[in-house]
Amino acid sequence: MKYDVIVVGSGLGGLECAHILARSGRSVLVLEKGAQAGGCMQSYCRKGMWYDTGFHYVGGLGEGQSLHSAFRCLGLLHLPWQRMDRHFDRVTIGNRTFPYAEGFDEFARTLADYFPAERRSLQEYAGLLRRAGEEQWLALDPASGGLDFLSFMSDTGAYPYLKEKFSDPLLIDVLSGTSLKMELRKETLPLFTFVHGNSSFIESSWRLKGDGALIVRTLVDGIRECGGEVICRAEVEELVEKEGRLVQARCTDGRVFEGDVFVSDVHPAVTCDWVKQSGRIKKVFRNRMNRLENTFGMCTVSLRIKPHSLPYFNCNRYVYRKSGVWTFYLEEDSVGGVLVSCRIPDDDSGYTRQVDLLTPMRWAQCDAWASTTVGRRGEDYVRMKERMADECVCLAEGVIPGLREMVEEHYVSTPLTYRDYTSAPEGSAYGVRKDFNAPLLTMLSPHTPIPNLLLTGQNLMLHGLHGVTMTAFLTCAEILGREKIRKLIEN
Amino acid sequence: MTREEIVEKVNSLLSEEFEVEQDAFEPEANVKETLSLDSLSLVDLVAIIQQTYKIKIPVADLRQIQTFNNLYDYIESHLPA
Repeated sequence: MKYDVIVVGSGLGGLECAHILARSGRSVLVLEKGAQAGGCMQSYCRKGMWYDTGFHYVGGLGEGQSLHSAFRCLGLLHLPWQRMDRHFDRVTIGNRTFPYAEGFDEFARTLADYFPAERRSLQEYAGLLRRAGEEQWLALDPASGGLDFLSFMSDTGAYPYLKEKFSDPLLIDVLSGTSLKMELRKETLPLFTFVHGNSSFIESSWRLKGDGALIVRTLVDGIRECGGEVICRAEVEELVEKEGRLVQARCTDGRVFEGDVFVSDVHPAVTCDWVKQSGRIKKVFRNRMNRLENTFGMCTVSLRIKPHSLPYFNCNRYVYRKSGVWTFYLEEDSVGGVLVSCRIPDDDSGYTRQVDLLTPMRWAQCDAWASTTVGRRGEDYVRMKERMADECVCLAEGVIPGLREMVEEHYVSTPLTYRDYTSAPEGSAYGVRKDFNAPLLTMLSPHTPIPNLLLTGQNLMLHGLHGVTMTAFLTCAEILGREKIRKLIEN
Repeated sequence: MTREEIVEKVNSLLSEEFEVEQDAFEPEANVKETLSLDSLSLVDLVAIIQQTYKIKIPVADLRQIQTFNNLYDYIESHLPA
């Protein structure tokens, strides 16, 4: 059988593309090398509890908000989402805590109470966040004239923008304090990435009752209902080109699948390596993909909490030892910033059983074990993970006193874990590093030199649940046409 | 770097990277046509020049670069001191 579309990689972007295409009547096959689908959205089970890896909360699901229509199309709106508190994120820097309030106006007003001299700048910043949300589908409509706004946000650095707009360095830290969900890097981070990484969460923030695998299962079920197939343990080793077009995906176990169009949800450099013989992909393109830099990885410490010891809190805590939110992960050997997220209780006890602590981890901190594989990394790796866990818990105790005593079990994943489960080079958490100095070179389009090979996923325009979802629709627009995708989103 | 050195290096670089024989690189030949550049591979050209010569070519400047001579001129006039 020849498929209309073969999607390689079952991360969120791959599954969303497959879902959109299958629902539009295309015959679709998804090939996943791992034992389970989901990529960075995978969860894992330990002693009867499921732990998330990449997924913690999502923004903009309210009626008319930025992710609402896309999630409706994907059948994800009916999942058990729970709206987070009015103060959904709280940023603690040293011994001071600042709330992020839901709604753009309220967000600016709340922070202006702490920084009254910057009220006007806060209002302007909130206006920019609102506009980014409202105009997020501009790329589908190049004639709309909004492309100037897109290029302004891509060509401007997030840090230079904040520095020019705000005079109090503490406020810059606060406004950047929830951005552990991207790579804060003064020299490269585009305003586009920063604004989109914040905007939808401020519209409204939501947690899922359950783990991220619910999202994955819903998408996979939706694909299968439309006649699509998702095959795990199917590791692609070659994409075969014939007369300038891809014709086959070959797997390591000898299986061969034929398709008309191929969508890769895998890092573009890895994707290029699969096309071993090509008249289309020249050395210059391969080299460019190989030279792309990757964002840092994350260390996740998953805590199993003793029953009836920690009351559930319906907000995220971002905790920093001291000021310097943009640089702490570069300067310190010990953990200097951590996101504290907690799982909605399965029962009605009001107590949580799971807390995740996340902190950035550079590849340089993992390099010593680069040649090792899961479960065989040695004693010193285990010691390093224990040290990371200890430091994360220590920092989190600043906002949850006595946390250490509440922990029953803990599990630690590092960028090495991500690398080995998702094929992300250097275990990068947020994909290719976008650079406002060279947006043309780092914010990739879905196109490749092979006309029927498209890319999707966090390595392209934007990362995160919201960014990857937008990107999936843009990738599908290349197959189904922009008009069709616009209608899907609008209806 | 002299003009001759630039011409020699650019030609060998583009020939290697775009997999096109150098014989086609006449000074007045059209770069896009010679290298079969579309909008995507034009980005490759911008990237390779930036990588090799540390010269950023803004999109607006791409229109100035039609022939190989235009490209050599651009590099020559933008080389960091």
